[in-house]
Amino acid sequence: MHNSQPPAPSPQPPAASSLLAVENIGISFGGLKAVEGFSVRLPAGGLYGLIGPNGAGKTTVFNLLTGVYPATTGRISLDTQNLNGLKPHEVAAAGIARTFQNIRLFPGLNVLDNVQLAGQLRAREGLASTLLRTRRYAHEESEIRRKAFELLDLFGLQARAEEPADSLSYGYQRYLEIVRALAAEPKVLLLDEPAAGLNSQEKIELAKSIRQIRDRFGVAILLIEHDMGLVMEICEQITVLDHGVIIAHGSPPEIQNDPKVIAAYLGSDVGAV
Amino acid sequence: MTQQGLATAPLESARPPRERGLVGTVVNSAWPVAVGLTVAAMMHVMLPTTIGPFYTRIVIDSGIAIILAVSLNIVNGMTGQFSLGHAAFLALGGYTAGMITFYGSLLLWNSPAKQGGFLGSGEWLFAFACLMGGIVATLAGYVVGLPSLRLRGDYLAIVTLGFGEILRVILQQTRPVIDSVEKLKNAGAAQLWPPPVGGAVGFNGLPKYTNLFWVYAFATFMLVVAFRLKRSSLGRAMISVREDEFAAQAMGVNVARIKVLAFMIAAFFAGLAGGLYAHESGLIMSPRDAGFQRSLDYVLMTVLGGRGSISGVMLAAIILTVMPEALRDFDQYRLIVYALLLIGMMLLRPQGLFGIHEVWDWRPRWRSRAATTRSMPAKGGRPNA
Repeated sequence: MHNSQPPAPSPQPPAASSLLAVENIGISFGGLKAVEGFSVRLPAGGLYGLIGPNGAGKTTVFNLLTGVYPATTGRISLDTQNLNGLKPHEVAAAGIARTFQNIRLFPGLNVLDNVQLAGQLRAREGLASTLLRTRRYAHEESEIRRKAFELLDLFGLQARAEEPADSLSYGYQRYLEIVRALAAEPKVLLLDEPAAGLNSQEKIELAKSIRQIRDRFGVAILLIEHDMGLVMEICEQITVLDHGVIIAHGSPPEIQNDPKVIAAYLGSDVGAV
Repeated sequence: MTQQGLATAPLESARPPRERGLVGTVVNSAWPVAVGLTVAAMMHVMLPTTIGPFYTRIVIDSGIAIILAVSLNIVNGMTGQFSLGHAAFLALGGYTAGMITFYGSLLLWNSPAKQGGFLGSGEWLFAFACLMGGIVATLAGYVVGLPSLRLRGDYLAIVTLGFGEILRVILQQTRPVIDSVEKLKNAGAAQLWPPPVGGAVGFNGLPKYTNLFWVYAFATFMLVVAFRLKRSSLGRAMISVREDEFAAQAMGVNVARIKVLAFMIAAFFAGLAGGLYAHESGLIMSPRDAGFQRSLDYVLMTVLGGRGSISGVMLAAIILTVMPEALRDFDQYRLIVYALLLIGMMLLRPQGLFGIHEVWDWRPRWRSRAATTRSMPAKGGRPNA
């Protein structure tokens, strides 16, 4: 798709203390370089955005970060832990949770169980104590339940705890996906187009919620979003991806005035293949 | 969304669970087993004299079917891995248990006949043999579970089907049963390998220990495990694998571990049931029991009962055990009826009779709304544990 020259070093803010450090990761499918030389340094409590035209490789970046695809190049580390080569469930255990572009709840589980599922990440009790119903097991399960109710309550979903997840309205399903991810007690939350399909009123509330989530849970957030208004409003730093490479990185005003970004979105001879 | 961002009111934290003493914990853990064993003992004492041998036999068959169907449901229903080889675990467990009781009895008591009465020494050997059958089946379950990590849907079904058929053919090649101690002591390698379990004619001469008590004792064991699993973190992880493997992984579920675990648990109970089946009077464990037809019977029970509904599958197991007895004259049409039933279910009610719900979750439609409202915990209140 793009020419194979090494991508220009992308502008990065000085990384004093980054929680999630991604350096130069890339992956090719066959001969196609889907993502190349992607780097980002997300500080604790940071709220960063990842934007780019359709097919730019944004979701692929999420899949690389969560271990769905193994990165062919580069290095991913969270705190001091190297995440390269970890399987998705190990990445989740390390502290990265995500939501999906097209909602992927567990429709056969009710709302509460969708959230409670995350409990098994930290669960210490195994098969034997589950079957014997030991005291520690009972305590652990009730703790998982309590935390799940707390989270549901926070998002106004408690009254619907017993309903099947797919009976919720679209907007609530989006929220439930975020709640489910938060239940995993992540250090980094990856939101893949959280505003997709929401109306403008709901988007305003989502923006507010995302900030509050960051503040309340102290979680660093990286979000993919097509809604520029939302991204520009809440993100501190934005990375722009086009054809699998970073074409810009900076604060919202910088991005808005970047000619390469404008070219990528509006199309011009410069950016086109 | 009608809410204003996140709720800001401080959360009233839920009360911690009631602390139980050691005795309380044991009682809480063991009461269903105690109840089940009591019921099983009462059935054993009372049923045969009141309903006669024919109906007793059907009740025993139903119990064995319940163990097999509910255990299969852990793989097919809860975890969503379609296995067509459940009867192979039954056969493996049955043959293993049979070897232990038959040759064990020969060595211990110089005769393969039944020893002792109810809960006598022979029955304990039999119970031990069933457990060993379960353990051998568990090991096989581990091996068969491994392909499920890479295969999905139809492909996995074919692998499990192949496992059953391979086992059936292997069992046909086994040596004839050695029926006396002298012959056993003088037997050379040629008589002992492949194992002397009867080949194509089946494993003849097993002591017929299986009775209502042991069947329903093991069924209790199975049901307690199934219910506790379903409502645990492990059970939720299993269901999440069924619903969406990709999302389950992202939530930290070790999909490989969960799938293999499901296969192993299911295989254990199938092996256990195999022990019961092999020692049931009027039956001869034969290589055919490992094959596809028998596996299909149990698949049908889980499909009919509902994916993950334990009580629904129990009910289906009973129905599909009793029905062929009632329709004995039409025996040759059994497979046609089963196939039609399967097609009908897929068209009309693909989620099974009860879907993922239990029988007691069912409410008339006009009442369901009020009932749901009632069972809902109040905001900030304590979730009912």
